Amino acid sequence: MKSIKDQTYYEILEVIPTATDKEIQRAYEHAKETFHTDSLAVYSLFSEGEVREIQSAIEEAYRVLMDGALRRSYDQSHFQTIGGQPPEKPSDAQGVSREKKPSLSFTGISFNPDEELYRGKTLKQIRERMGVELQIISKETKISIKVLEWIEEEAFEKLPALVYLKGFLKVYAQSLGLNPQKVVEEYLLLIEESKKK
Amino acid sequence: MIWTIGGGKGGSGKSFITVNMGICLSKLGARVVLIDADLGGANLHTFLGISPPALSLSDFIKKRVPHLREVLIPTTIPNLQLLTGAQDLLNAADAKSVQKRKLVRSIQSLGSEMILVDLGAGNSVSVLDFFLMSDGGILVVTPEPTSVENTYRFLKSAFYRRLRQSVSSLSVKALIDGAMDRKNEMGIQNPHDLVKAVRRINEGEADRIMEEVETFHPNLILNQVRSKKDIEIGFSIRSACLKYFGIHLHYLGYVVYDQDVSNSIRRRRPLVLENSRSRAAQCIMEIASKLANSQ
Repeated sequence: MKSIKDQTYYEILEVIPTATDKEIQRAYEHAKETFHTDSLAVYSLFSEGEVREIQSAIEEAYRVLMDGALRRSYDQSHFQTIGGQPPEKPSDAQGVSREKKPSLSFTGISFNPDEELYRGKTLKQIRERMGVELQIISKETKISIKVLEWIEEEAFEKLPALVYLKGFLKVYAQSLGLNPQKVVEEYLLLIEESKKK
Repeated sequence: MIWTIGGGKGGSGKSFITVNMGICLSKLGARVVLIDADLGGANLHTFLGISPPALSLSDFIKKRVPHLREVLIPTTIPNLQLLTGAQDLLNAADAKSVQKRKLVRSIQSLGSEMILVDLGAGNSVSVLDFFLMSDGGILVVTPEPTSVENTYRFLKSAFYRRLRQSVSSLSVKALIDGAMDRKNEMGIQNPHDLVKAVRRINEGEADRIMEEVETFHPNLILNQVRSKKDIEIGFSIRSACLKYFGIHLHYLGYVVYDQDVSNSIRRRRPLVLENSRSRAAQCIMEIASKLANSQ
């Protein structure tokens, strides 16, 4: 039993020290949802102050662990302090290939930075944070790089017919460990809005 | 194995789950005894569609029958028997530790592989003790603030009672008693603060408390879930318990909200017999399989 201040960033996010970026991303989404101010799981158990403290610890852990350089430096300082070896982190490509068909588990809650709708630039931002190249996504999802680029650039006029686009968005979202239904719904909403303009 | 089903709020589905899980376990080949210890509303017999039993645990405790086996009520389901006597069971839990253990040994000597005890709602000392004495305590919660709040209240009481039972120092016991009140004057807001406070006065007792925390693994069933988001609440409760208590709560599974449940209760026919293909019945079967495999 450790207080939040004494927990490692890995313990805060409930991941192992060799977790891939994708695993950290999912764990972060779960932690963010769990320790949201309105979350049922914290109701009556934690004080508001305790929830705020946990929330900021989660954000800090995520910020450090999702940044390759910061994570390496944290691992070195932390694991040297406790007398161990820094864990060998799998490469991002390994991370993607390790789970060829990432299925949305119960814990796969959608991540949405800044509480914005999922749009092309959001997907690009998440992918880049995870350090995954479009080529890897393309190889994994069998979607052409051009289409992936159009999705991210929100080049709506170039995108394939809706029936195909839905499928592409779903698979792309899954490859990033996001909630496919939410991504599809919000992306299509964006297209609708652009048509109105 | 003795499993106790408790915590949460009245109406969260403990009796319904106890009965149906017991039937599933008996279908899986285990000899099962259901014990009705719901002080406020003992009615497992109704869920099973049988009349209120004439014999109860008191007949055994008052030595009107020589063996506990004789107060077991047969049911129409092979390998499944019922034992009632809530008042006696919980009074016994209030009794001295030796008597409690004697009763537990008698229950164990029934030769059943699975004993499911429906503790009902509430968190009296007797209920907590039985929950802690069993091989596995199961909390049934619905995804509603009132149910979650009551479950946490129960869990806190059980947690602190377990810690209290593990230490011998009176001053440490007093600290634990104080910690249960969040407005205590010692500034102990949560279990982490408690361990720090105990460590300041008694290192050995602090270590014992940590061992107790490590080995306390209650189980959770989420009932009446309506969406995927509801299902995820179980995982979130697990994470919240890890952060707050430092305990590893085991999320056994969930049971979906299903109209077939209330239909089966009205007909006094257990759901897993009445409509085994219903979604809720499938969920219960899955949880029962996990219990059977955990033996």
